[in-house]
This record gives sequence, C-alpha cells and structure tokens, in this order.
Amino acid sequence: MKRNLYVLLSLLVLASMTLAACGTPATEAPQAPVVTEPPAPTEPPAPTFSGTVTITFTQEPDNLNPMYTDMWFSGILREFYLKPAWTFDEKANPIPMLTTEIPSTENGGLSADGKTITIKLRDDITWSDGEPLTADDFVFTYDMVMSEKNVPLSRYPYEDYITSVEAKDPTTVVVTMNEPYAAWLTRLFSYILPKHILQPVFDKDGTIDNAEWNRNPTVGVGPFVLSEWETGSHLAFKANPNWIQPPKVEQVFILIVPDDAAQEAAILAGDTDFGVFLSSDQIAKLEADGKVKVVSVASGYDEAWFLNVNPDTARPFMLDVNVRKAIALATDRFTIVKDLLVESVNPVNVTYWDNTPPYQTDTLTPYPYDPEQAKTLLDAAGWKDSDGDGMRDKVIDGKKVDLKVRYITTTRELRKSVQAVVEQQWKLVGIGAELINHSSDVFWNGYNDGGPQAQGLYDIAEYSSVQSAFPDPDASAGFLCEQICNAENPDGANTQGYCNPDLDVLLKKQAITLDPKLRKELYNQIQQIIYDDYIYVGIWLDPDLWSINSRVKNVKLSGVQPFWNAHEWEVAE
Amino acid sequence: MTNYILRRLAQAIPQLFIISVILFALMQAFGDPIAMLGGRIPPRPEDKERLRRQMGLDQPIYMQYVTWLVGNDWQKIDMDGDGVPETYGKRAGILRGDWGNSLVTRQPVLKMIGERLPNTLLLMLTAEIIIIILSLALGLYSALRPYSLFDNIATGLSFIGYSMPVFWLALSLMYIFAVNFRRWGLPYLPTVGMYDPAVGKTSFELFKHMILPVTTLSIISIAGYSRFVRSSVLEVLGQDYIRTARAKGLRSMIVVRRHALPNAALPFITVIGLDIPFLLAGAVVTERIFAWPGMGRLFIDHTERADFPVLMGILMLIALAVVIFQIITDVVYSFVDPRIRLE
Repeated sequence: MKRNLYVLLSLLVLASMTLAACGTPATEAPQAPVVTEPPAPTEPPAPTFSGTVTITFTQEPDNLNPMYTDMWFSGILREFYLKPAWTFDEKANPIPMLTTEIPSTENGGLSADGKTITIKLRDDITWSDGEPLTADDFVFTYDMVMSEKNVPLSRYPYEDYITSVEAKDPTTVVVTMNEPYAAWLTRLFSYILPKHILQPVFDKDGTIDNAEWNRNPTVGVGPFVLSEWETGSHLAFKANPNWIQPPKVEQVFILIVPDDAAQEAAILAGDTDFGVFLSSDQIAKLEADGKVKVVSVASGYDEAWFLNVNPDTARPFMLDVNVRKAIALATDRFTIVKDLLVESVNPVNVTYWDNTPPYQTDTLTPYPYDPEQAKTLLDAAGWKDSDGDGMRDKVIDGKKVDLKVRYITTTRELRKSVQAVVEQQWKLVGIGAELINHSSDVFWNGYNDGGPQAQGLYDIAEYSSVQSAFPDPDASAGFLCEQICNAENPDGANTQGYCNPDLDVLLKKQAITLDPKLRKELYNQIQQIIYDDYIYVGIWLDPDLWSINSRVKNVKLSGVQPFWNAHEWEVAE
Repeated sequence: MTNYILRRLAQAIPQLFIISVILFALMQAFGDPIAMLGGRIPPRPEDKERLRRQMGLDQPIYMQYVTWLVGNDWQKIDMDGDGVPETYGKRAGILRGDWGNSLVTRQPVLKMIGERLPNTLLLMLTAEIIIIILSLALGLYSALRPYSLFDNIATGLSFIGYSMPVFWLALSLMYIFAVNFRRWGLPYLPTVGMYDPAVGKTSFELFKHMILPVTTLSIISIAGYSRFVRSSVLEVLGQDYIRTARAKGLRSMIVVRRHALPNAALPFITVIGLDIPFLLAGAVVTERIFAWPGMGRLFIDHTERADFPVLMGILMLIALAVVIFQIITDVVYSFVDPRIRLE
C-alpha cells in the first residue's frame, strides 16, 4: 500500500511539473509589428536591440490598465508600455511625449482664463501594432473613466475639473475645465487607452472592467511592449521598434521578489540589475563590491512630525506656539540622522516640500538645536518643574498639567529608535514623553474607525508623507480649515486641526495658479507661515533608493517616473 | 464501501456550508478592502463611496454572502449612483461555479488560483516526498539503534532543525549557495524565482530553482517527522507480539518489516493524510523568500489588501481538500489496518 502511495505521489509531482513546464504563459508574444514607414524622413538604419535588463519589484502590479490601479509598482511600468502625454525627467522637468510641446500660455496651449487646454499631438506616433494614435484615443480615455458602466479606481481629476474633452482634429485635443486646475500637468492624461482595442470590448461586454488588455496590454505606446506576465513570477517587456525613440535594450524583466532580504541577496549575486525601496543602512553593503551603485531620487517623501493644534482635541500646551517652538529646539535632529541614517542621503528637512523640486525652500533653514533657548521659552510660558519630578508642569484652570508629550508613530523599528533618542533629549529640558506605537493600519484608520491621528489622540505624530499629485506641490487638503477632521467631517484630511485664514487664502490661490513662477512664490509664503507656526517639524528627507548594477549604462532615474529614459539604457555585455 | 464514501460526501455538504458562513464572517476582520485599494495615495472619499456601491460592498454582510453564494444576476444594482438600481449584477455565485472576481486585480478567482496551484504543488509535493522518505529512513534507523551514536546525532540535529526559524534557514542557504558560492567562483544556485525568464520554463531551470526552497522545507519538517517515526516504531518494538515474533526465531529484518512497520505506519498515515490538503496552501515564508509564485504568496498578498473573494476562494479550496483527504485517509486506513471496517 505504501509503495502505491509513493508511486501516486511521484506521479502527481511529475504531472504538476509537466503542468508547470508546459502551461502556456499568461500572454503570447506580440505580433511582430510591421514597420511600414520609417518615422524620420532620412532613412535610419533599422533599430537593433541587445541585452537584457532585470529589475526586482517587492510587490506585484495588480492591473496594467491604469484606470484600475493606483499602485506605484503598476504606475512606474507605464514608462515602458504606455507613455503619458508628457512625462518628467530626472529633475522633475516636464518633457513632451505624445505631444509636440507642453501646453502653456506662451504657445497658446493654455487659455488666458486657464480653463481651456489645447493639446497638440505628434502626427508620427503609432500604437505598437501600427495603428495611429489620435485625439480620439484621448476622448475615449476620458469617456471610459467617466462611464457609469465601468468601475475605475478613481475618476480624479476628470470628475472634479473637466467638463469636456473634444477631438478638434486627429492631432488636436481640447480640454475644457470648470475652473483652473494647477495640477493638470501631473494628473491629466497620465495614460491614454487604445480605442481600437478597447472600444470593441466595451461594445460587446458593456464594460472594460474585465478586458483582456487590462491584464495583457500587448498593444501599447512606448519603447517596450509587454510580452509575458507569469503571475507571481515576472513580467517581460520586449523592445518596440515602432516607438519614436527605439530602445537599445532588447528585453526588460521585472522579477517579483517580495522579501527585502532576498532582494538584497539577488542584488549582491547579480541576479537583478535594479533593486528598489532600499533603506540607507543597506548602501555600504551593496556598494562594497564596486559593482552596484545606490542612487537616491526625490520622491516627494519627507519624514516629519505633524503637531496636533486642534483646539478641540489638543492638550493646552500644544496650542502655545512657544511651547511648540521649544519642543522643536529641544530636539537634536542632526544627531539623529547622523547616528540612525545616512546623513548625506537623509539630511534634516525644513518644509513639507523639500523633496518636491522645484518647490523646495530657498531661504528657510532647519530649526536649530538650542536646548538653552528651549528652556528660556518654557520658563517664560510658565512651564516650571514645581514638584521636582524632572518634568515641567503648570496649573491650568486650577489643575496641574504635566508637560508630557504624547508622541505617536508606527511600529517601524527606525521610528521606535528615534522616539527613544528624542525622549532622552527632551529630558534635558524637562519635557516628558509618552511614546506610543500603532500598527500602520491602525495608525491610518479613519475617524469613524477610531484612527488615533484622525481623532486627534496625539500631540506629535511622526510619519513620512507626500503630496497627493506629486510632483505637483499641492497638499492643501492637509492644511485647509474646511478639511479639519472631526465627527461632522470624518473624511477631512486636516488631521492636525490647523486653521489659519491667511494660509487658506494662499492655498486656494496656488490651486488655480497655472504659472509655475507665480506658484513658486506663493509656496514661499505658504512655507514661511507653516515654518513660523511650528506645526511641522521635518526630521529627514526620505528619497527613494534604487540600486543599479554597473553593467547597465545611461540610467537616469527620476522620482516621478523612474524609467522615463528607458529607451536610452544600454547594457555592457 | 461505496455507500460509506457517498454518506461521507453527503455529510461534507452541510460541513462546507457552515465553514463558508464562518469564513465569510471572519473576512470582515481583514479590514476595509476599499481603503486598501489605493497605492501611495488613498482613494478620494467620492471614489470610495462609488466603489463601495458599484462593487456591492455597501450591502449588508448577509446580502454580500448571498451574492457570493448564489450570485446577483437576478437582482438590479445601482451603478450610476442615483439611488435607483438599474443594472443587473454579473455574478453567478459559487454554487453555479462562479468563484467571484478579485477586488484588486478584477480577475476571476478560479483563474488566479489555477495559475498558482501547479507551482505550489510542484514545490510542496517534491518536498513532501523527500520529507517522507528521509524521515522514515532516519526515524527507523534511529529506532532500531536507540541511544547509539547515530541516534544521538540524529536527535541533536533534529532539535536544531526543528527550532530553526524558516526565514533564517532560507536566507542562510541563499547567502551560502547563491551569493557566496558565486563570489568564490564555485558552481552556484540562483537566488530567487521559479525559473530564469531569459532561459524559459525548462525542467532543468525548475530543478535548479527548486533546490534551495525544497531543502529549506525539508530540513524543517524532517526534524519533526523523523522524531515521530522513531517514537512510534520504538513503541511498537516494545509490544508483546514483537517479542513473540523474535522468540519464534524470526530474523530481525523480517520482524521489522512484517510486524513492526505496518503497525508503526498507522499514526504516520494519519499525520500525512491531514498534511496533504495543506500542501495546497503552500508555504508562506519559503515562497516569499525564494519568490516562488505559489498559493502562500497569493494568500498573503491578498490578505494585505483585504481582497475577500480571493481569500474565500483559497480557504474554501483548502476546506474542500481537507474534507476529501479525510475521507481518503479513512479509506486507506481500512486497507492497512484489518481491525477497521467501514460500514
């Protein structure tokens, strides 16, 4: 009997091995596109491709139709197979992709009232199957996002700002908005869907939610096209000779490696050329052999303290700007980044926009470390250690209140270390600390689910955050009076409860200011107000860290779209 | 016998039904799938509300269960948000073979499971066969020479193997055989993946990539299983009928093969019978570290995003396998143990 069991088991193994080996991959190789016409008038030599680039992702993309995903790992792949109307280079400057130029007031692309954008398309761009890309594809994309028959992840910004998208002629798209929308450059037409592929699906199924293309976009518009997606294992992209900038590399593989330590081993072994989401303590180890370089790119993220100043939930001392200032001055953030991180990569940041070029501050410097001044400020504000327990206190409304700051953050080890160091530093000036760590899902819970931030159950919250339309600087929701999160407005994004009418005016003005220069000036004023009010204390700049194997040349990663110049990558064999 | 099997299968139906109700209720504890749909940027409140409505997540939990069970193509839902249901649903329900679609990938759950199951079976069955053979051999050898040098060494190694954390063992093996061997110019193994996409899914590639994960899984389990075999063989060897057989003058090999082994194998069969259905679930840690595209990772990835149709699919599949393999184990028992009759 047992022998039979073995035979049975071996047969099962063999069967599954055959199944696994013969199983057709999720996608077929794309039809070799026929080059009917060379893109440029001077007959260039047929493009030749060589070499393979391998990239590890720690999470698997969930969907390749951008309408159905907000996942960062899905989004960054679009620079391979689905170029946006315009993209951003490594300095976050916009560069035209499918268009002849970036619409602006000077070139007539932006109307004087800022409510009409005229997009001029290049006439030489085709989808990878040879079908021309036209203004109809733009209109179709808008229609699909807005159709009630589809279930897109987000209709932003089309639902909020756009009243119509029209094709004036095959290369002209006219977008009408209900009000000027400053972030249009980063959010509008960040993807275009192929009408000739998806319209028939929509007509047949009544929706494109389950279209084959969503999983298997073998027709795209970019330097590469998807050739295979073996779920859980890898995605493969092949060079697209039809693209206006034919790539030099033949293939790109995206390996899904969920474990950080395993990714590190794969980088060291040379099994991958690019690693992502590295931490700065890995840099020395990865670069030791001289084969790998770790680069940091501005991703908008800064680690910072967000101070609770909501009169309804904050403790009395947090409402005094001088106490907030004293807390900032009593914290030696410079030693923290030196000891716990890599100072050159993660310097102390000043404002919420330090990692969002070109909106970083030109004039402000980090709050200094000055414990003596902190003591003076606290003394002047009436906070003295009356009972000799090492912690300052003050009698408010007949009750003694201790200056004990409730300092919350997630359970990440690095953050716990920072908390411990800060507790010691504060002790020197008589500030007490109550250190609380929440798992990240609880930390981010909404008001109605008892989220500690949303309900204002803190004095200082530490986390890393980014502007929602990065690289656009707009982060108004977090600071506007009308966005204050409370029982009446549980979805409010202003969990600090900060309300400053002067700031409101500036924030509302920048949101409709389309001129980048004027907007930058507005941001200087916005940053000054936040800086003077001590409601945001930067701790460190938190750029994305990538490793690049030296065999891949000409890589210019960007914090917005890391792979924007993939067509220029070369592989040294 | 046929009667018995049919009766057991009939009993399984209410069993699976109750399991599905309990699991569906527990799914609510995974959190709000809509809140976890976004990437770096959470969805706007308007989008959250629309998604809840369009995906039917605004329905009371029992209605969601009914939809999961029998579908909603007989019922109109409100797609355009005017408060009036106008479009017929698209779900057919699991009773009609529709396991639902993932909220995250929008793919049919059955298809997603089908893509991962062969990979997991390949890894887990290979490991299981190696585990069974080696732990039988080790356990038996130890039991026949208890407290010998070999037995003491095997016992010591077992405890080391059993107490080693899987992730630590996996990463150590990876660093030694994939990173350092390569650095030292020795023949090396690949770090991660099921095969090199540049080479393709050949048997040799699969074999190469399986060595480290199978070794990891085996070391951890052989430790426990071989102790189990050792103690059950030792126990049987102390029985009166073994002494009688020896007293008859039978050769020691025959005593072990004819009398000791069949009796010692009974508990082992139970353990394996209960283990096999869980092979379908994959090995979460090992699959994660070696980036093996199996069921364990599918489950974890979708747990993190509270994608309950996928989780329900995987858990129901495992529940089904447990029920079936329990029946099979009982049937096998009646063959190997003449004292048991299935009536």
